[in-house]
Amino acid sequence: MLNAIGLEKSFGTQNVLNGVSLSVNEGDVTAIIGPSGSGKSTLLRCLIYLEKIDQGSIIIDERDLVKDGIYAPEREIPLICAKMGMVFQHFNLFPHMNVMDNMITAPMLVKKRSQASCKEQAMQLLNKVGLQDKTEAMPLLLSGGEKQRLAIARALMMEPAILLFDEPTSALDPELTGEVLDTIKSLAAEHMTMLVVTHEMSFAREVAGHIVFMADGEIVEQGPPQTIFTSPTQERTRTFLEKIL
Amino acid sequence: MPAGIESILTTTKPLLTGTTTTLELFALVIVISIPLGLGVTFLASGRNKVLRGIILVYVWIMRGTPLMLQLFFFCFGLPFLPVIGKYLVMDRFTAALLAFVFNYAAYFSEIFRGGLLSIDRGQYEAAQVLGFSKWQRTYHIILPQMFKVVLPSVANETITLVKDTALVTAIGVVELLHYAKTTVSRTADISSFIYAALIYLAITTVLTLVFKKLEKKYSF
Repeated sequence: MLNAIGLEKSFGTQNVLNGVSLSVNEGDVTAIIGPSGSGKSTLLRCLIYLEKIDQGSIIIDERDLVKDGIYAPEREIPLICAKMGMVFQHFNLFPHMNVMDNMITAPMLVKKRSQASCKEQAMQLLNKVGLQDKTEAMPLLLSGGEKQRLAIARALMMEPAILLFDEPTSALDPELTGEVLDTIKSLAAEHMTMLVVTHEMSFAREVAGHIVFMADGEIVEQGPPQTIFTSPTQERTRTFLEKIL
Repeated sequence: MPAGIESILTTTKPLLTGTTTTLELFALVIVISIPLGLGVTFLASGRNKVLRGIILVYVWIMRGTPLMLQLFFFCFGLPFLPVIGKYLVMDRFTAALLAFVFNYAAYFSEIFRGGLLSIDRGQYEAAQVLGFSKWQRTYHIILPQMFKVVLPSVANETITLVKDTALVTAIGVVELLHYAKTTVSRTADISSFIYAALIYLAITTVLTLVFKKLEKKYSF
């Protein structure tokens, strides 16, 4: 589904990604963990073309977004990236649109779908994330948890094959993280392919089938949660987990 | 007809003619300079460095010199330019209109630039990952949010323009203030100044109310 090979990225003189290779299979839930500044978010942002890599290849659903550092032609990039959706730490809802318009604007404009079919799909998804009674509400009036659930539903409107989450609960009050994590869990139960950058270790352990530990722009260790959380082979993984658990 | 009412009518009639010219100038400047200012803002935020440099100098001159001087320049100065000067002889209204449009487009572009800077990068990113084209992103996501931010400043600038139109009386365009001034000197009665003031107040009050409505509409 998604393959990244030898990704390198630097901001000025600082290397943020040092030869990162990652592979996500269909139906996988992969959690990326690691200390702040380890390059987790940058990796995610590079995969969905919010940042450009300097070297390496990214293949999405058998199409090259970038091959050996050379990007696909500009007009093809949106088509390749359309396979992916993204949920941001700070939600990035459109503040000037109500809940329903946040949901339907992208599919109507981008996919040229009818308003009626978009609204129908939106109601189903809003039901799923528990926002069916808020269709007319403006984002400003939603709680943090509701905002993020709306952001997830909005991303699903575009029917991505893979959903990327960039610290989806980091901007939430602790008592609101549960409802967002539950939403992600229910997607996992439906075998949605997901790549989640997170600081929620218990969530990663419970939901992800694959854990990637990153530090200093490298993937230090990866494997099933049982291995990573109970018997990590790398010293850096151990130190990190001891600090955080 | 009682003498009092008749005298009011004879003094206000030319004032109303002048008001038409004032409103015409005002409306044309607004209708042209706001889109132009928006265009300048987007050009200035583009990648072309030469264009950005030209715009920087343009805004610098328009904001840094008196509007009155710019009016004189467009009306009396342009025809003296070597070679092209003879093609730049315009009637005074057109010259005034051009000067105002150049000046106000510069101010509006600065207001819009501030509005554009206030929009969170996350909005661009969300639009991109949802597949919006650049044009769709600008039109559906960025502009509506920008309008909300700039509305109070645009209102302020618009009301200033109403009053600034009175400057054209200095280059001999016959508008509201011009008629008020000539009536006062002809009749030795200052009431025309009061009437003119009331007319300006009426225009600015209506505009203030319109912008209040707009601000309410854009309060999300």
